[in-house]
Amino acid sequence: MSELRQINVSKNGIPKLAILALSIVFAAGLFVVGFDQGHIFSLVYGEQAFTDLYLHELTHDMRHAAGFPCH
Amino acid sequence: MKTSLFIIIVLISGAFAGLIHGTVNFAIVEPYLDQAIGIENQNLFESGEEEDTPEFWVEYEGYRTWQKSGQILAGVILGTSVGALFGIVFAYSRNALPGNNDVKKSLLLAGIMWLTLYIIPFLKYPANPPTVGDGETVVLRAILYLSFIAISGFAAVGFYQLSKKLQNNKKLFALIGYGVFITAVFFAMPENPDEITAPMNLVNEFRLMSVLGVTSFWASIGIILGLFWRKLSPQKETSNYN
Repeated sequence: MSELRQINVSKNGIPKLAILALSIVFAAGLFVVGFDQGHIFSLVYGEQAFTDLYLHELTHDMRHAAGFPCH
Repeated sequence: MKTSLFIIIVLISGAFAGLIHGTVNFAIVEPYLDQAIGIENQNLFESGEEEDTPEFWVEYEGYRTWQKSGQILAGVILGTSVGALFGIVFAYSRNALPGNNDVKKSLLLAGIMWLTLYIIPFLKYPANPPTVGDGETVVLRAILYLSFIAISGFAAVGFYQLSKKLQNNKKLFALIGYGVFITAVFFAMPENPDEITAPMNLVNEFRLMSVLGVTSFWASIGIILGLFWRKLSPQKETSNYN
C-alpha cells in the first residue's frame, strides 16, 4: 500500500518562462512610460499617432517626475 | 520554484509600489509641473507661437487634465515594469544577499538598485521639469540617460561577480573598482545638451520632489516584495512522493 506524502523542497532554479515573461513586461512598460513618442499607437493609427501623442501625454507627468528625458 | 506564484507576486508588488509612487508624485510633484508649464505657456505667448485666448485655455485644460490623470496610471505601469526587473534580480541574488529574512534582503537589494540605477544616473542627468528640454535633442538625451543606467547596472553586476572570485578580505576592492569605474564613466559621458532657462529654485525643488517620489517607489517595492516572499515562499516547490 502506498502512502502519498507532500513535502516542500527548496530549489534554486529560476524558471526561464518567468524570466522571459518578466523581461517582456519590463521592456514594454519602460518603453511606454519612458520613451514612446507615438510609436505604439502608430501601429493602429499610422502617422497621426506621432502628432496626437496620446500615450506620451498620458505618461507625460510621470516621465518628467521619474527623470526620463521629455520635450 | 512556483512559476505562476513568482510572476504574480512580482507583478503585484511592482504595481502596488508604482501606485504609491504615482500617488506621492500627484501630491508633491504636480504643483511644480503646473508652475513650470505656466512658464512654458508665458514663453509661448511672448514668442507669438500661441495666443492668450479662451480657445487656448480650453484646449490647455483638456490635455492638462489628461496628463494629470495619467500620473497614477503611468506610476502603475512603470512600477510593474521596474518591479519585473527587481523580481528577476531578487530571485537570482536572494541566496547571496545578507540578512536573516526576505524583507531585509529585499530592502537591501532595493537600496542597491536605487543607488546604481537611479541616484548615480540622476547625478549626471537629473530630472527636469517642463520648459527645460529641447524637443530636437530628446532622442540624444534618451540614449545618454538609458546608456548610463545600463552601464551602471551592468557594472554593478560585473563587479559583484568579480567580488565572488576574491577572498573575503579583498572583496572591498570590487566595490572600490565599481566606484572608480562609474566615476570615470560619469566624467566621460557627454553633458545634457540643453540649456536651463527656467528659474533654478523651481528646477532644484522639482528635482528634490522627483527624488522623493522615486525613493518612495524603491522603498515600497523592497518592503512589499519582501513581505510577499516571506509569506508565500515561491522558491519552494511542492512535490508529491509515494
